[in-house]
Amino acid sequence: MKTFLTTLAVTAGLAFSVTAEEGPEKVTVGYLNLVNAQLVTKNLGLMSKHMPGVEIEYIKVGGGGDMLRAIAADQIDFGGLGNPPTAIGVARGLPIQGTMVLNMLDFVEAMVVRTDVGIKSFKDLEGKTIAAPFGSTTHYLLLQALADEGIDPAEMKILDLRPNDIAVAWSRGDVDAAWFWEPNLDKAVKDGGNIFMTSGIMEKRGYPTWDVGIVMNEFAEAYPDYVEKFVAAECEGIEFWISNPAKTAEIIAEELELTLEDATRMMRGTEMVPCEKQLTDQYIGTSEARGGFVDTLMATSEFLVSQDRLPEAPSRETFESFLQPQYLEAVVE
Amino acid sequence: MIGKRLSAWLLRRETLLSGCTVALMFAAWWFVTATGLANKLFLPAPGAVWDAFVKAVVKGYQGNTLQMHVGISLLRILTAFAAAVLVGVPLGILMGLSRDARALLNPVIEFYRPLPPLGLYTLLVMWLGIGEESKFALLFLAGLPGVIIATQQAIWNIDPIYARAAKALGAGPWQLLRHVYLPAAGPMILAGMRISLGFIYTVLVAAEIVAATAGIGWMIWDAAKFLLSDVVIMGLIVLGLTGVALDWLMRMIGRALMPWTKREEH
Repeated sequence: MKTFLTTLAVTAGLAFSVTAEEGPEKVTVGYLNLVNAQLVTKNLGLMSKHMPGVEIEYIKVGGGGDMLRAIAADQIDFGGLGNPPTAIGVARGLPIQGTMVLNMLDFVEAMVVRTDVGIKSFKDLEGKTIAAPFGSTTHYLLLQALADEGIDPAEMKILDLRPNDIAVAWSRGDVDAAWFWEPNLDKAVKDGGNIFMTSGIMEKRGYPTWDVGIVMNEFAEAYPDYVEKFVAAECEGIEFWISNPAKTAEIIAEELELTLEDATRMMRGTEMVPCEKQLTDQYIGTSEARGGFVDTLMATSEFLVSQDRLPEAPSRETFESFLQPQYLEAVVE
Repeated sequence: MIGKRLSAWLLRRETLLSGCTVALMFAAWWFVTATGLANKLFLPAPGAVWDAFVKAVVKGYQGNTLQMHVGISLLRILTAFAAAVLVGVPLGILMGLSRDARALLNPVIEFYRPLPPLGLYTLLVMWLGIGEESKFALLFLAGLPGVIIATQQAIWNIDPIYARAAKALGAGPWQLLRHVYLPAAGPMILAGMRISLGFIYTVLVAAEIVAATAGIGWMIWDAAKFLLSDVVIMGLIVLGLTGVALDWLMRMIGRALMPWTKREEH
């Protein structure tokens, strides 16, 4: 017991000896297993460049549901979330704030259907088995699309599977359709599937999906300058993506163990937004006036309430104060 | 008669002490939530959990009522458990009686027994798909070793003099099994069965993670994804209570089948 107390005292002493000026000893970044510029930032070691002397740990997270759990369990400092898990997390009061746009989702997320099943419309999905990771952007779009077409989701079997489990189930022929994302999406397309619907088409129908970079409140309060450094590193990654597509494709291919050709195609399915553009009213907006992301979060949370996945939708102000453009503003200046 | 026995049971020292523990836990739970010591997101108040329970019973959770979720899970658990007993007890008897059988089967059982269920499950999903087969296989494999090992040990422990005496009196192999081995090994086999049922319970959530759309384990997993901690805690309590009820049922069956093991309470 005595040694335990000593350990506790020592640990507490250590925790307090690290002041805001000195910075954190270690920064943990949870990144989603998808195709965006975070892979570039990671591969080029840009985080270490902006935070010299700080240990950087990257944790790969399968999807939004897992990321929410990692946040709730306080296992990461920085993370990325699609709009539905963001709406869930903010509504449930997770201590997080949104800092920047990680990516806009185009055909990097899509619904693949088994070619020999002959699915030509959403109506054809009735009686079929469809997989999607529950709580993610694609699960949200699937239910949204069905609602728009006036089709009852109970008419089909919608299964909750993680992207890599979908790939396994697909290769066994257990599912007829699946709405998920690269790099696993491609495995299904190559194995007797074709793309029926993409998240980019849904964006044109008024349902944009995206991933936003988040930071834990506790970390942001203790080390606001390190949040700026994080944003700066990610912005550099985005710049690199935009100005060096060929080199970026090589990095993506290496990080995700893909061929160069596949990596290039998947890159085209993800839209990267330059950091100065993120401050416009289409995206995050500014400290004075938040942008369109608030509208998307409002619409998403209202939809989740109608699906009985959220007890109630948070107010507009809650989402506005979730988005904190000041770090981005400091970096862009 | 029943009322009298019930009140006698309620007044027993053990019942009172256990009751104290439960009451204390509830009081602590109520206290930390009422005073705001616990974050509501991680530990909702007892009232919120009760509301989640009522809502799940009346309105259901994502398409199924709580009763249906529990029913589906119990069906999965009990079929896997029954299969584990039907396979495990004969194998255990065989391994208890024959050194050769033990040498042949031990490597398989000893190898897979300590494997983490999720690791095993990945393989089972690849082999058997995302349907009920892989779930059944995982639960069955979780329950099997407990039954086999307990049965084998129980048979091994029987004093050979019983078997020799019965043989000397002209008992055949079936009579030996029916009148010597099973009665002598019964209590230990039952203990093994209870442990095995516990193991099956521990892997239920894992089994219902992949591609389930119903079941109490799935409900807990799904609710966690949407940060509905009231549903998570409610599901865990319900799961725990069904486990306690099943265990109690097995002890009752054991007493009825093997009255000679019943220890007098006073």
